Amino acid sequence: MAGLSRAPQQWATFARVWYLLDGKMQPPGKLAALASVRLQGLHKPVYHQLSDCGDHVVIMNTRHIAFSGNKWEQKVYSSHTGYPGGFKQVTASQLHQKDPVAIVKLAIYGMLPKNLHRRTLMQRLHLFPDEDIPEDILKNLTEELPQPRKVPRRLDEYTQEEIEAFPRVWSPPEDYRL
Amino acid sequence: MAALNVLLSGCGRFLRGLLTGPTVTNWARPPARAFREVVEIQEGKTTILEGRITGTPKESPNPPNPSGQCPICRWNLKHRYSYEDVLLLSQFIRPHGGMLPRRITGLCQEEHRKIEECVKMAHRAGLLPNHRPKLPEGFVPKTRPRLNRYLTRWSPRSVKPIYNKGRRWNKVRMAVGSPLLKDNVSYTGRPLVLYH
Repeated sequence: MAGLSRAPQQWATFARVWYLLDGKMQPPGKLAALASVRLQGLHKPVYHQLSDCGDHVVIMNTRHIAFSGNKWEQKVYSSHTGYPGGFKQVTASQLHQKDPVAIVKLAIYGMLPKNLHRRTLMQRLHLFPDEDIPEDILKNLTEELPQPRKVPRRLDEYTQEEIEAFPRVWSPPEDYRL
Repeated sequence: MAALNVLLSGCGRFLRGLLTGPTVTNWARPPARAFREVVEIQEGKTTILEGRITGTPKESPNPPNPSGQCPICRWNLKHRYSYEDVLLLSQFIRPHGGMLPRRITGLCQEEHRKIEECVKMAHRAGLLPNHRPKLPEGFVPKTRPRLNRYLTRWSPRSVKPIYNKGRRWNKVRMAVGSPLLKDNVSYTGRPLVLYH
């Protein structure tokens, strides 16, 4: 680091960075793992629990997250209002319909350390159900993180050349009709 | 009475089986040749419905392993395909998404089952949008909000929520993917997890 002197170097090391993560067709657990690491600052070599070195994370398209398996129907989110008979259990699909941001929010909340820092770190997390993000947050973004899951291509997203280049694996008998 | 009816219908099936044997002459059934498509042309006031025979696709020449019995073994794809390989899976399905029979495609029993499971998972993931089932005339389906999913083992409508997840030593886990594909080659080096 020939260019920077001490104070600017320290400023550059501890400056808070804004990351963008696109949640389209991504599993919310993997998004939450990435986000919780960045929020705590564990991705930095200068990490310390008390040095408040976490960054901001903006997650967009939370409405279009994808669960593997049958978790939309099987995964149940439970809560209790505190009053008798107030135990509520909703499936992931019902919760997602009511609040498209809740699933990712709860996933990240569960992955952060269970101490008093958790609430401040959640304040540094910004979740948006669709692509429209306010201007002031867009201006702060520095880097877009790569998506954790490789999204497979649909059949109509392949070009005709690619479909023809793929070998035909079996030949039907002459007198067969579909 | 009911027993007599059953006996008669059984006999009918037996007789029909006799009739469709090699003794039947070709005029009883029109010669069925290759894949065909129905084309509708509108010319002013006349509509012409034409059935055209499209070329039957042939297997590509020079398979890497010509001594294999089923197409998967011949092309060295034994444990190497998944629900994402739509170009392979689309060769074994009908236009409306159903599977082709094993005696026609020539697959062995286990590969046929694996391909069938992968095709189901691909349909549920929405990777085959043009192979949807045919709906009756004039039927407008209700547009419900579609949830994105992948590696779904069970049909979404058949699954119940897990209200009681169980104790720490006996959790009710959620199934992901299919046990038929547990011998697949893993290129990332991470083990395949079937229950989350």
